[in-house]
Amino acid sequence: MTVVRSSASIGKSEVRGLPEFIEHRLANGLRVLVGEVHSLPVVSYQVHFAAGSRYERPGITGITHLFEHMMFKGTKELGPEEFSRIIQANGGTLNAFTTTDNTSYYENLPAAKLELAVRLEADRLENLRLTPESLEPEREVVRSERKLRSVNSPFGLLIEQLFALAYEQHPYRWPVIGWDPDLRNLTLEDCREYYRVHYSPPNAVVVVVGDVAADEVLRTVEKYYGHMASQPLPRLTIPKEKSQRGEKRAIFKKVSQVAAFFAAFHVPGITHPDLIPLQILCAVLSAGRSSRFFEKFEKPGKAVEVRAEMGYPPFFTMDPGLLQIYAIASPSISLDTLEREVWEEVEILGQELLSPEELLKVKKQSRSYFLQSLETMFFKGLLAGLYQVRAGDFRLLHTILPSYEAVNPDDVTRVARKYLRPENRTVVSLQPVSQREHEELGEVE
Amino acid sequence: MSAGAKSWAFSLPTIASLIIKSGLKVYAVQRPELPLLSLHLIIPCGAEADPPGKAGLSNLLAEMLTLGTKKRSASQLAAEVDGLGATLSASSVWNSTSLHIFGLSEDFEHLMNLLLEIYFQPAFPPEEFEQLKQRRIAALVQQKDESQIIADERFQEILFRETPYDHPVYGTLDSLPPLLCEECREFYQRYILPAGSFLVVVGDLQAEPCFRWVEANFPSGIQGQSLGAGEFSAPSRSGVRSILIDRPDLTQSQIRLGHIGIPHAHPDYLPFEVMNYILGAGGFSSRLMQKIRSELGYTYGIRGSLEPRKHAGPFTISTFTPTETTYSCVQEIFSVIRSFMTHGATHQEREEAIHFLTGSYPMKFETLSQVAQRILQVELHGLGLEYLTIYPDRVSTITLEEMARSARMHLHPEEMLIVVVGRAEKFRRQFEQLGPVEMMA
Repeated sequence: MTVVRSSASIGKSEVRGLPEFIEHRLANGLRVLVGEVHSLPVVSYQVHFAAGSRYERPGITGITHLFEHMMFKGTKELGPEEFSRIIQANGGTLNAFTTTDNTSYYENLPAAKLELAVRLEADRLENLRLTPESLEPEREVVRSERKLRSVNSPFGLLIEQLFALAYEQHPYRWPVIGWDPDLRNLTLEDCREYYRVHYSPPNAVVVVVGDVAADEVLRTVEKYYGHMASQPLPRLTIPKEKSQRGEKRAIFKKVSQVAAFFAAFHVPGITHPDLIPLQILCAVLSAGRSSRFFEKFEKPGKAVEVRAEMGYPPFFTMDPGLLQIYAIASPSISLDTLEREVWEEVEILGQELLSPEELLKVKKQSRSYFLQSLETMFFKGLLAGLYQVRAGDFRLLHTILPSYEAVNPDDVTRVARKYLRPENRTVVSLQPVSQREHEELGEVE
Repeated sequence: MSAGAKSWAFSLPTIASLIIKSGLKVYAVQRPELPLLSLHLIIPCGAEADPPGKAGLSNLLAEMLTLGTKKRSASQLAAEVDGLGATLSASSVWNSTSLHIFGLSEDFEHLMNLLLEIYFQPAFPPEEFEQLKQRRIAALVQQKDESQIIADERFQEILFRETPYDHPVYGTLDSLPPLLCEECREFYQRYILPAGSFLVVVGDLQAEPCFRWVEANFPSGIQGQSLGAGEFSAPSRSGVRSILIDRPDLTQSQIRLGHIGIPHAHPDYLPFEVMNYILGAGGFSSRLMQKIRSELGYTYGIRGSLEPRKHAGPFTISTFTPTETTYSCVQEIFSVIRSFMTHGATHQEREEAIHFLTGSYPMKFETLSQVAQRILQVELHGLGLEYLTIYPDRVSTITLEEMARSARMHLHPEEMLIVVVGRAEKFRRQFEQLGPVEMMA
């Protein structure tokens, strides 16, 4: 058994509340990360798979997420949804989520019940039962979820269009929930294949954070996963997105009370050092009521909302992602004027250095928000698990706070010039139309 | 299956409290895991005090407190708060108004001074008031695109018609435009720090120094008018009725279905909570989720919830489903409720519900804001701090008979209000089979 302490290679973490993770790999390749936190008698048990929509291909978009639902439909021993019922009946809460880069399952439960979660998660990794009777209702559940999140949400389809336009080759161009025609056509065989290829010990990271003893946890994980066979990691070629060489624009028409635009700039993936200055840049623009966007647009009532965002640790994308800037216009201003003024404000970042006071402010905000995110066992586990899956090294979570501190005004100006160029920009505008025009444009799905 | 020993056997964080000389009650809870601090000043007066026709006044006032003091402009205040890496929010809900600052514990005095300055020295700048009002109006216009919000607000508005709860706390597009800054100032002066106000401090700070600081610095001799008992009389029931809000552009309907429930301090509240875990609040363990989602595939989610309020809050079943299955979905919900009322819960369901509610109880004290939320809820709803301690033991003693009685007394399928936002013309005739139908734009 090889055990590596998380801080071994980069020095002990100075952050109170961030546990020192212990790493262990089983012979079959399963990676286990354990962080002891004894503030409450609870534990977060998480299994993160390197399975996200980036591993899909046209024709089966949405399978990663649909399959996540199928993981609750029973095993050789358990009936449909019995997994959830048992965890809850033991004082636990549970859920799962699918992103572009990972699928994650978790149970937050009394620490004394940890073994139950380990046993049930191991069981469904090995013995999932996939039947037509469980697939068909779940397909409709997912289509209902798609209607909730995309089709009937004010900006959902607009954002889908933004990604579809910004990316031409990379799988980030389709939504995690998938296109509706693909959801209708996915087969049980597709699900079985997905399970066989992606759900294996070496393609997973188990994270345990809470009121536990690390050596005991490792023994328990070994007990339930140790006998599983290893298998080669999926060999997939993910198409690389080529550089964008000019602004792309589209209009999306729907019934709406407001006009809006959503824009995106290509930025690097999670391991790139420019991401932290870019995150600081987003904070300058829209974090808090002293931010530039609030002062210029929201406070005087020009816009309902203007934001710059690209996720936060650990939710940076594995491959080059998008920094999004969006604005929802007030009735008092035309969308064209609002968009022009937003770009003028963004251009200033590439032309004028931040004052020391403004930089100090956003650094303190970033530090404070990060510390706040550490309040739950669940999020501490997410940090470790997602850095491992997306960046290949959970130890990087210890670099987040020092990276904020290291940003200087030149970094922000440099990344503004490098990434926030019109040539690197994609914009989709929402143009409100009447119900009649909406119907003439055809059904949305 | 056995859920084992008492998994809820954990110690509540120590909640220290003190009534300072000015009469203010202060709660302090030390949580040293992270260098953070959560401060909450709670005023027991909220949107229920909005004068008739002035919906949104108390909520507008709450936010106005954060938009300038006698010492600082709104921009200076925002720069001060952001510069500390803190967040400041103020809002009113039905029974209370809260001023909340979250920040780093190293800034305790600075944050507390800001809290006092914001609450006791507001400037009510007229230009800020007009801008805020315009922002609120623009946000309400945008919310007309959010079918979930429309469903929630219309449901409560109709359910509580002719009571103090019959308007959205944020106000409406009719009520906001005529409101005046002066009305905000008068509302503030009338209800400033009324009896029953309290302060909650949770974070990396010992209780004693916190109490000393508050005692030395909190203004004394200020006490506004109390709202009074404000007796709440529920509107008379009127059978099953459906309100269909026509949105032809939607492909999926938002459904709300329910009636007025019981107050948080009602002796049947806990039996109802356990019973409702089995009926609708227990996720995949609930009858509604099992039938409507897992078996029929009608929806991604369905939940029954009883909102804890000082007076009777709404009991609401919320879901959404494609246009084609809207009526069937509502029929199936009725069918699940009636079957549950006829046959009751099983022993196993009772055991599992109790194990969930007690076993997951420690997780309700994980974050600073959660701890504060627990305290302010029991204080505002008149439950007493001991409620937090006895909750697991009390829940574990609830019997099947108590739950059945609670269902009989407090579930009323024959009095349901149904609100649906969607393509109303597609299912209007079907809903007429249930009772009167009213169409709304």
